[in-house]
Amino acid sequence: MDAFNYFAMSWLSPELLGLTALGTFLGIYVGAIPGLSVTMAVSILISFTFSWDVNYALCLMVGVYMGGVYGGSRTAILLNIPGAPSAIATALDGYPLAKKGLAGEAIGLSTIMSVVGGFVGIIVLAIAAPTVSEFAITFQPRDYMMLGILGIMLVGSLSGSSLARGIFAGALGLLIGTVGLDPMTAEERFTFGVVELWDGINPVAVMIGMFGISEALHQLHHMNKAVIKQKISRIIPKWSDIKKYMPLSLQTSFIGVIVGALPGTGGDIAALMAYDHAKRITKNPKVPFGEGAKEGLIAPESANNAAVGGAYIPMLTLGIPGDAVTAVFIGALFIHGLNPGPLLLVEQPHMFWFTVGNLTLANIFVLIFGLTGIRLFSKIVECPKGILIPLIFLLSIVGAYAINNAITDIWWMLAFGVFGYFMRLYNFPVGPVILGVILSSLTDENWRRAILSERGNIGDLFISLFHSPLSTVLFSVIVLILFTQSPLWTKWLKRKFFR
Amino acid sequence: MKKTTIALLAALSLSSSLSLADYPTKDIQGIIQWGAGGSTDTVMRSIAPHVEKELGGDIILTNKTGGVGAIATKYVNAKKADGYTLLMGAENPQMYKILGLSDIDYSDMIAINVLARGTPIIVANNDAPFNTMQELIEYTKAHPGEVKFGSTGPGGLTSIVTAMIDSQVKLDYTSIPYNGDGPALTALQGGAIDVMPAVLGATIEQIKAGRMKAISIVDIEANKLLPNLAPITDALPGMKSYLPWGPFFGVFVKKGTPDEAVEKLQAAFQKAAYNKDFVDLMQKRGFTIMNISGDEADYFLEAYRSTSSWLVHDAGFSKFSPEDFGIRKP
Amino acid sequence: MSSQSPMIKTRKPGERIFCFLLVLGSVYLFWQAYNISGFSSLSSPGAFPLAASAAMVLASCVTFLNTLKLPAAKDVSFAYHCFPPVIATIMALILIYSVVLESLGFILTSFAFLFISIQFLYRRSPLITLAITLFALIVVYIIFRLVFQVVLPEGIVPEREILSSIKSLWR
Repeated sequence: MDAFNYFAMSWLSPELLGLTALGTFLGIYVGAIPGLSVTMAVSILISFTFSWDVNYALCLMVGVYMGGVYGGSRTAILLNIPGAPSAIATALDGYPLAKKGLAGEAIGLSTIMSVVGGFVGIIVLAIAAPTVSEFAITFQPRDYMMLGILGIMLVGSLSGSSLARGIFAGALGLLIGTVGLDPMTAEERFTFGVVELWDGINPVAVMIGMFGISEALHQLHHMNKAVIKQKISRIIPKWSDIKKYMPLSLQTSFIGVIVGALPGTGGDIAALMAYDHAKRITKNPKVPFGEGAKEGLIAPESANNAAVGGAYIPMLTLGIPGDAVTAVFIGALFIHGLNPGPLLLVEQPHMFWFTVGNLTLANIFVLIFGLTGIRLFSKIVECPKGILIPLIFLLSIVGAYAINNAITDIWWMLAFGVFGYFMRLYNFPVGPVILGVILSSLTDENWRRAILSERGNIGDLFISLFHSPLSTVLFSVIVLILFTQSPLWTKWLKRKFFR
Repeated sequence: MKKTTIALLAALSLSSSLSLADYPTKDIQGIIQWGAGGSTDTVMRSIAPHVEKELGGDIILTNKTGGVGAIATKYVNAKKADGYTLLMGAENPQMYKILGLSDIDYSDMIAINVLARGTPIIVANNDAPFNTMQELIEYTKAHPGEVKFGSTGPGGLTSIVTAMIDSQVKLDYTSIPYNGDGPALTALQGGAIDVMPAVLGATIEQIKAGRMKAISIVDIEANKLLPNLAPITDALPGMKSYLPWGPFFGVFVKKGTPDEAVEKLQAAFQKAAYNKDFVDLMQKRGFTIMNISGDEADYFLEAYRSTSSWLVHDAGFSKFSPEDFGIRKP
Repeated sequence: MSSQSPMIKTRKPGERIFCFLLVLGSVYLFWQAYNISGFSSLSSPGAFPLAASAAMVLASCVTFLNTLKLPAAKDVSFAYHCFPPVIATIMALILIYSVVLESLGFILTSFAFLFISIQFLYRRSPLITLAITLFALIVVYIIFRLVFQVVLPEGIVPEREILSSIKSLWR
């Protein structure tokens, strides 16, 4: 009965309810603006809510987190600028939908599926948190390495028409991800003696440049074309659509929870893996992927919101953050005089069900706020290009600066914007670049840890893949995908035999 | 339009006449060397509100990460020396010179306050076949290359503690680097590494919950939080010459900052660090409050630099000799 | 790894040169990756960059060779279809913006950038442009500087002094 009381705490107190609503509302806009991250917003809230009661502070922060992860899809769909790395996969099919005048429907669908994902995450958190967290920390470096490889194999599905160009772009991304002081040995890699490069090139700067700036530059070609009138008659998706896509949404939500619960990976990787999953299991999409397939919108949106619940799992049970935002949450609990750690739930028994209840509430507010204001938002796409494009540039520049208060991030963002423009012009896909950047350190570091653990012996590393059931499963999945379903392989087969 | 211009101009002239009178006349920017959610970030965000109250002005906290804190250090030193840009950092800059990361360390800045110091501890996975420092040494000797030590890159706490141990007893182990003690301690619980030195505050909750075991405290005496844990000097008495040693958190300004601003900041931070909430918070996490400034702080910083620099140099992973920078031998 | 897709039948002007530059760039990066730690060990910091840059070299070579086989697209000119003056102008504007941003400060440079580029692209009366510019700038400033406390480059405008004196008027 206690559990229920704690669960309902934030529902019954008008102040807590109001703060959660406010947080969610703010979060949606924080998430939508590129460069403003949820991590940053929650950090600022720590100082702001310093003197408050801890429950009040948490309600506001949980709302911002839940809303923020969802909000990233807004700008991804409307402007092709993902508000956060977890919305990169959303842009791939969401933006083409907006270009067809279906922005309203796309946002509506992404809202519903985000909320579904959010609930799956919360349910797993509520009923299986201890099991999942014990499972998550048994991931060894070799398992993370294989996750990275699984992710890199997605290059196949993001390549578009030419695989060689896709591989080039993916490899470039991986290389960009290694720039800076190597976190393991402090060796300089591609820094050319420039101190500003020590911390590497920020993935968000690459993302804003490759997606936002290069798209805006491309739009300059079509200055005289009339703007696309948005059909805003249908916002809430058809019930038949929801039913049809529900299985996919649930599957990708589970991917999201697990990837979110792993301490080394977050919503961005979850969303990309979900996108790949959708592409593999959807045999005959109505619209091809990359041109506005609804499946390609639903999968990442379900997964990244499910990852929120996932990220809370190791945080609440073990005091280990599941992603960057939960790391800040741990700091916030600490500042408020609690002891985040494995004993948190013993010392503060209300914390678990309070958080679950609060997350549920925030998720409901995502639904409410997500479905309102869509008409207004869709108008952004109808804004005359002569005004919209300069504004996109301004927002991209300020956003890039905001990541780390560094002018150099602006430079990188612009450089990748111009380079991305030429890549698009000559039919190079830009998706794999940002995929590579995101997966680079995960793969590089864990590959090296894995081989160091076997004292540099690659044979031993291979044998170790069969030491644990988990590694064996991951390894089999990689082999299976490589030889049966992977677009890499099927493309090659098609070319060899069906041409 | 015109009215606002006039108002702004008036405000401007007002503020310029004020700026001479009393510091601070505008927001102070606090540059945190490490990312959101890290221990430096947490400490600074928890003291800042108390300082704001003392100063009567706002402090805008900004995380500026990169190059083990060198980018933030460089940034603060590129700003005007007017006391409006604070560097909120950890111990790392004291190793910059010998690691070739930067030519600025804390000796080139003014210490506002060295807030607190952490105590290193050696922890192990629950299934590890040793329970004390002596057993760890014996097991590692008996099984060369098999024990996996977690590390957090050269110049970090783990590397200096292992350098201390190496100076006493030659051990053959496999070192697995992680970026940060958070991920490494997670890996320790998952069994990817067996042992690692870490700061007490980051491990205390896990130890209390029985998720990892404490092998030894790297100090000359037992710690209040873990009274039954033997200090490392029991097994390795030679370590006494380095200890007590530990990572610290401090606030610094650029050299050349007007005395008036420095004194005000020092007074404000000193008062804030006495605040009960802050003291409680730090002690619960196993940090020893220092709250020192002026000569006392300079002495502490210099002692830290000389011990650590020579250890790292003798262990062979420094780029330059501490002698090049006039860092005396401890 | 033949990857010539049926969808790409012709090449655009500049495509060959671009692909050739990519080959050159990849080889340079491969050389840089080699310089990190050579072929010393599989766990060295340079191992992963070497693998990635090797893949870049291979993929860019394949792409370049494919473009050699393709016929040039008809009726497409570089100066009109690929890099028209409007794009060059905007790129130049952004370049100037980012160069002077730090020294002149966010408010002045952004104002100038927005005003010029909106005027250039939208071509309405300067008053409308001015209104849009001011409105956008104020919204961005409030969100980023005041709410999210991103201290934008101040340059020659003493923002913090102005802000604190406005605040003191309040108190």
